[in-house]
Amino acid sequence: MTRVRVTAPRGRPAGGAQAAGVTGHPPAGSVPAGGAAAGGAAAGSGAGLRTAVDAREAAEESDAGQVFVQALIRSQLRLGIVVAAGFLLILLAFALLLGVVPGLAELRIAGLPFDWVLLGAGIYPVIGLSAWLYVRTAARNESRYRDLAGDR
Amino acid sequence: MNPVVGVAAFVAVSLATAVIGFYGLRISRTTGDFYVASRTVRPWWNASAIGGEYLSAASFLGVAGLILLSGTDALWFPVGYTAGYLMLLLFVAAPLRRSGAYTIPDFTEARLDSRAVRRVTSFVVVVVGWLYIVPQLHGAALAIRITTGLPAWVGQAAVVAVVCVTVVSGGMRSITFVQAFQYWLKLTALAVPALFILFSLAGAGAPAAAGAAVNPTALAPAGPYQNISLLVALLFGTLGLPHVLVRFYTNPDGQSARRTTLIVLGLLSVFYLFPTAYGLIGRVFAPGLAKSGQADALVLLLPGRLVGGPAGDMLSALVVAGAFAAFLSTTSGLVVSLAGVISQDVLGGSVRGFRLAAVISAVVPLGIASMTDSTALAGSVGLVFAFTASTICPVLLLGIWWRGLTDAGAIAGMLTGAVLCGGSMLAGAVLGGAGTPPWLAQPAAWTVPAAFAVMVAVSRATRGRVPRTITRLMTRLHTPERPLATER
Repeated sequence: MTRVRVTAPRGRPAGGAQAAGVTGHPPAGSVPAGGAAAGGAAAGSGAGLRTAVDAREAAEESDAGQVFVQALIRSQLRLGIVVAAGFLLILLAFALLLGVVPGLAELRIAGLPFDWVLLGAGIYPVIGLSAWLYVRTAARNESRYRDLAGDR
Repeated sequence: MNPVVGVAAFVAVSLATAVIGFYGLRISRTTGDFYVASRTVRPWWNASAIGGEYLSAASFLGVAGLILLSGTDALWFPVGYTAGYLMLLLFVAAPLRRSGAYTIPDFTEARLDSRAVRRVTSFVVVVVGWLYIVPQLHGAALAIRITTGLPAWVGQAAVVAVVCVTVVSGGMRSITFVQAFQYWLKLTALAVPALFILFSLAGAGAPAAAGAAVNPTALAPAGPYQNISLLVALLFGTLGLPHVLVRFYTNPDGQSARRTTLIVLGLLSVFYLFPTAYGLIGRVFAPGLAKSGQADALVLLLPGRLVGGPAGDMLSALVVAGAFAAFLSTTSGLVVSLAGVISQDVLGGSVRGFRLAAVISAVVPLGIASMTDSTALAGSVGLVFAFTASTICPVLLLGIWWRGLTDAGAIAGMLTGAVLCGGSMLAGAVLGGAGTPPWLAQPAAWTVPAAFAVMVAVSRATRGRVPRTITRLMTRLHTPERPLATER
């Protein structure tokens, strides 16, 4: 019983590449059969984006569909910029904190210098939290788009 | 260090890599449905594989060495390496997966509908790949010299030979499994000795890290410009690395590409705690290494020095194995991506062409590595990130998010970035470490904005060249995949 994900990319795998694959990464979904001769590694002439047109995309090229698509792109871009800016601000605050407050470098946390703990360990949870917030919100943007575009 | 330890560790890692490579190959053949199998790699496996390929000599050896040399300034390196993946997640991961492109040249050609853009992108990708392989080989040279006393070229040649054999014979076909294994090997190889060292230090009642602030060298602390420029390079360089994109391809859809990246961030965060710990311990207990110019060998030497005896030998073998896993995984990932690009664009895309391209991709950097000297590993990899950030990053970001990008703009911007950043790197190499002004030593802070500016300005001037397919392309990049059940 093969596990098949329901959300596999559009298009069909290029035929005949099973035997010729060199790296184990076949040209997927939309990459055209031209890559098959070269094996997975040399896959794709890049024409995939142009050739794989299905009914859904044709529909989305209508003016009404495009309004929703544009709104989705804008909201995803805004989300990315906001999260990136927030993270960079926190990073800047860390750097300023260490540079401006003089006594901090002498401070110890469990015997370790404070600046080492802050930069060497303290930043990673901030990165993880930013990423988690982004993934959640980006998925929400997409499901709102699906609702609006009636894509269910 | 006992030379047998080093050789045994290297042989063991090479064998394990080959065995997993071929074993995974058999699985993928017997399941029959190669494509479905490769696209349903679970996010955990996929994330481990990305981590395995990404954590190179610079991360495994270089970060700890640089921390030993320059203290808290060097802590920005692991932060930047990790945060680069955050930027990749925010701006690139899902759209790139949805583009269906397999290499960066595939993406730019499809997005801009231009063969010329493809050729320029391929050229830049090959340069990036070669520049990135060179520090891996320097790392291998260092590791072989320190652990076995053999001449440096033996280590470089051995890594290139193992990579060529596995890639050419098809042993890297199940690359996901190999790379995932390498991540966990690298993490174990750093974590176990680090814990042993900490326990033995605590048992000996060693003073707490009181000496951490002591600077073992006379290096002046880096100014704010250098730290900012470094962060720009690392944050924006990651998303253009040629071997990273391929790994996103095994995600079934855009949303799972995001989830995979989230896990990668966790894996990298855990990993980088250990080089930082080695650097800190090294500053307190082995500052002599910095003075004798062996800072990059800190991770290899510390377990033997602080634990000693047979236990020390075992731990040393483990770190040596981890180091070779780092050289092999990053080099083979790069060689596979480069060989794909070279064989497709130059050799006509046959299987024989791919094999030839793989050998070329590995041997050229071997030549460069044997002619150049290793400086700080983390530093030279940092420069490669600056180069990608000034060339591939602008074309990816603008290509994904800005409808106005044209082929002329993309080419002009990439060439500008390549000339400015490449020129700075050459000038820095000619002037030598001490004589290089900061703006040449860390060029990213001005070359990245310059590349973006040229790309936007030329695209504006050539508005008429925006491809007609743009609406369909943007829709495809940014809208969620429809569940297959409702399709057709």
